[in-house]
Amino acid sequence: MIQLTNVSKIYSNGARALVDVNLKIGKGNFVFLVGPSGAGKSTLIKLLYREEIPTRGQVQINSRNLVRMKEREVPYLRRSIGVIFQDFKLLPNKTVFENVAFALEVIGVPKREVRSRTLATIDLVGLKAKEKAYPHELSGGEQQRVCVARAIINNPALLVADEPTGNLDPDTAWDIMDLLYEINKRGTTVVMATHARAIVNKMQKRVIAIENGRVARDEEQGGYGYDV
Amino acid sequence: MFNSSGYIFRETFNSMRRNPWLSLASVITVMVSLVILGYSIFFLANTANMAKSFESELEIGAFVQMSYTPEEVQDLKSQIEQMPGVESVSLVTKEQALEDFGKTIGGTQSSIVADVGGTNPFPDKLTVKVTDPQNVKTLAQSLETNPGLYKVRYGQEFVDQLLKFTQWLRWIGFGVVAAFGAAAVVLISINVKINVFSRRKEIQIMKLVGASNGFIRWPFLIEGLALGLVGGTLAAIIVGVGYNWITVYVQSTLTFLPVVQNQVLFRQVTLGLLLAGMAMGAIGSVFSLQKFLRA
Ligand SMILES: Nc1ncnc2c1ncn2[C@@H]1O[C@H](COP(=O)(O)OP(=O)(O)OP(=O)(O)O)[C@@H](O)[C@H]1O
Ligand SMILES: [Mg+2]
Repeated sequence: MIQLTNVSKIYSNGARALVDVNLKIGKGNFVFLVGPSGAGKSTLIKLLYREEIPTRGQVQINSRNLVRMKEREVPYLRRSIGVIFQDFKLLPNKTVFENVAFALEVIGVPKREVRSRTLATIDLVGLKAKEKAYPHELSGGEQQRVCVARAIINNPALLVADEPTGNLDPDTAWDIMDLLYEINKRGTTVVMATHARAIVNKMQKRVIAIENGRVARDEEQGGYGYDV
Repeated sequence: MFNSSGYIFRETFNSMRRNPWLSLASVITVMVSLVILGYSIFFLANTANMAKSFESELEIGAFVQMSYTPEEVQDLKSQIEQMPGVESVSLVTKEQALEDFGKTIGGTQSSIVADVGGTNPFPDKLTVKVTDPQNVKTLAQSLETNPGLYKVRYGQEFVDQLLKFTQWLRWIGFGVVAAFGAAAVVLISINVKINVFSRRKEIQIMKLVGASNGFIRWPFLIEGLALGLVGGTLAAIIVGVGYNWITVYVQSTLTFLPVVQNQVLFRQVTLGLLLAGMAMGAIGSVFSLQKFLRA
């Protein structure tokens, strides 16, 4: 489903974030990206939803070439990819319902459909009671669930997450992981960059370690590594 | 796109509420530029009309040398009456002129003469009526060579000056309208840019969930259009009401001045102002939207 071929990314300031990366991630996979700070994890994630374009090499998702893709095709690519952030990126002046519905509204989904799908997705992430709350009235874990709901409401084939548990305590982090696990079981491919050792070790999923912009390790049912 | 019209108008309204002063400034500059444009058009229509009505005047005013005796004046009068193309010549003597002047300012003849230094300052004036308006200019030119006359006035001369004046006015009006128009476009584009900036987080999320650039652009484009339209509407009202008022005023006080009252022109100008306002709004928003939505 995802294929990176000889991908290098050098930012305009000269920072070499990725060097000659080759990767294949199959449909329905659950993949952890680990590695030290500054290794290039976020850069790799950004290549997947075309926030960044590689300096060299090709990125393909479902045989769509993201490098050659025209600007106006990008929105349609993004409708098939859900994105989750460490800092949630919720709109503070919108309620939980409005934040989630936003993802459908702005791609022109009919109003009635927006309502029913939004309610169903909010229910799925367990926030039914908080539907009318504003982000500042929610805990960190609850805010992250809103972000997850917004990311999955379009039934994306791919869900990418950049440190989705980075700001959460261990229990809340596990709640989010349970949610991602559920979504993965329904057939969505999940790629998640993380520093959460316990989660990676416990989940026993594929682990790709990045160091200095290169793939240093790639194991099925791997562990976090970097043990002291 | 219709599914989202609610969203678009809500956002447009919100962004206007966010910076009311800047919105007001944009609206006012649009309005000022279009008010000037509207009045300039009406003014030019009127001067053109005025020029036409003066052109059709068939009279030449000829002022006789002050040194001429009444007999010499009468000779000159009959001499001019003999010239080809002249229909009639009438004389207003210096005494009559003085008397008329006295009536208008309300003094007696002797007191005025005393005031101006003891002599009657008015010349004898011959008013020459011409058979054909085409001949006014040539006739006037030949009268100018007559040694008995020191000054010849005719409609064409005034018309030429009027046209020269309106030519100037046209350029100045064009310049002022262009300057204000440019200012309006710049203000609207700043307006839109600030709103883009204050909503950058929202835009980032919109892009992330796959909103097309066209969709993201709409509220901003409509905001610019709305600002321009409000300015244009105000301008149309001010120009329309003001022009009607001026027309009524001029017709009741300066009855000799011809005023253009063309309903078709009137409708075209007011509609034109609305469209021009919207165009300024659209240009302003497009300016500020060009760059930021590429990635
Ligand atoms: N927009 C950017 N412009 C320039 N350099 C950048 C940019 N983003 C990242 N970099 C650089 O690229 C390298 C990789 O950064 P990246 O954010 O991908 O690391 P990371 O693995 O996500 O780190 P962390 O675990 O701290 O999030 C770093 O050296 C960083 O300084
Ligand atoms: Mg990172």
